Amino acid sequence: MHLYYLREAWRSFRQHKGLAVSATISICAALLLCGVFLLLTWNAQRAVSVIGDRREMVVYLRDEVTPAQLDAMMARLTELFGTATYVSKEQAWDEFQQQIGDPALLQAVDQNPLPASLRVRLRPELLNFTAMEQAAKQVAEFPEVEDVRFGGEWVRRLDEMQSTLAHGALAVGIVVALAILLVLHNTIRLTVLARRREVEIMTRLGASDRFIATPFIIEAVAQALVAALVALGLLLALQLLAVAQVVQVGFLPPSWIALFVGATGFLAWAAASLATARVLRSAGP
Amino acid sequence: MITFEHVTKRYGERLALDGVSWHMDEGECVVFAGSSGSGKTTLLRLITHEIAPTSGTVTVGTFRGPRLPRAKRALLRRTLGIVYEDFRLLNDRSVFENVALAVRITGHFADAEVVPRTLYALEEVGLQQKQAVYPWELSAGEKQRAAIARAIVNRPAVVLADEPTGALEPSSARDVIALLRKIHAEGAALVMVTTRQDVAESLGGRILRLEDGRLPGAGPDAPPPSPYAPAGYPPAESGPAPPGVGL
Repeated sequence: MHLYYLREAWRSFRQHKGLAVSATISICAALLLCGVFLLLTWNAQRAVSVIGDRREMVVYLRDEVTPAQLDAMMARLTELFGTATYVSKEQAWDEFQQQIGDPALLQAVDQNPLPASLRVRLRPELLNFTAMEQAAKQVAEFPEVEDVRFGGEWVRRLDEMQSTLAHGALAVGIVVALAILLVLHNTIRLTVLARRREVEIMTRLGASDRFIATPFIIEAVAQALVAALVALGLLLALQLLAVAQVVQVGFLPPSWIALFVGATGFLAWAAASLATARVLRSAGP
Repeated sequence: MITFEHVTKRYGERLALDGVSWHMDEGECVVFAGSSGSGKTTLLRLITHEIAPTSGTVTVGTFRGPRLPRAKRALLRRTLGIVYEDFRLLNDRSVFENVALAVRITGHFADAEVVPRTLYALEEVGLQQKQAVYPWELSAGEKQRAAIARAIVNRPAVVLADEPTGALEPSSARDVIALLRKIHAEGAALVMVTTRQDVAESLGGRILRLEDGRLPGAGPDAPPPSPYAPAGYPPAESGPAPPGVGL
């Protein structure tokens, strides 16, 4: 029976090649647009996550903090916010000297003015402006703490960029999903109507809606999957072209590809089911 | 098996059937004769639930009601074999595929069972040699035999024939009538509608004459004949019903 459905889907495709090919091209174009946006989003997210890994909170300590207090505080910070690393006054001064580069500029400084600090590499769930600001406020209330810095403005901008990309991807995704639904819905509707006589005969012979609709649904899903694979191929070509132009662009990871293809197949199934159900209700005696 | 109780059907202002009541039992053969527009095809379409009666009740086997839901309508039609005047074959499929379609539609048979059942039905109508050809390559008589093979392939309890000889020349018409008689003799009930008295008589069943949507002697107020005692009509010759998907 399954072979029968596949044969029928193939028969339908051959009989309405023009319609099927134009629908596949339309879906491919919509998916390519979506794919380009996904590629940008993926690369931006990757870049943001690399930068995000460097997001840390620097806790400056008062000079009078004892080693016991320091140990207790490190344990507390590690427990609450993430891995804490101690940077002594001397280490801070050495780093500062390396950053300045020219020793002549530091000759006027008599003694080391830099405080000791704790660099806290925050846990992933705290890598956003709101959580970091809250953590910074909490840490600032510790008696051993002189000051807390976490690059608030910079973190806020990163968060905004991520949010914009996510919203953009969602908006493009919704538009493309609607386009796929519309294109496939109309294509399948036209295909069923073009085979109206056949559908009527089958209905008179007692065919269930499922029996009649399944080949059309298979055809729609196959068209959409072919369109998705072609779109992915074109996207890969675009990515390779970008790499050739010395732009560091990575291709979509397997999980995103699977989701892209799966979502396309699901949309095709939904559109074809809806179209056949509507047409059969009006076509069959 | 099939009972019409005071069935009226209107198409807008036009009255197609007017309070028709009749009944047929399993294995019986009933022929509705009448001129064009007398309501014959409407009667068949009511049996298959392609249309719903304006009033009254149609019962076919265990299916009873003014308007069956789609799924039940499909189920009902799978228990019937239908032969149309214009054959209604699918031109893009071979004769074999046309007949096999009816088997597949039932959903009862695996692919391996479809072939022998289809070949057997084609053999019964004498079309085994033409199983690979397409309907447009067949004569009208052969097309009707292919349609009959499709109608009987699932061994239905009832075969409905809508003017099955209407598009055929006399010798093909005789072949088709002989085939229908054979199907009936093998146990299937048969309901045929025709405009031709000679065709009606040649089938050898109970003949009911439809005139302007009425069965004379069975007015709107007449009670339906008893399903258990169809007085006045001889029972059809019938052998043991072959296994199938009948009512």
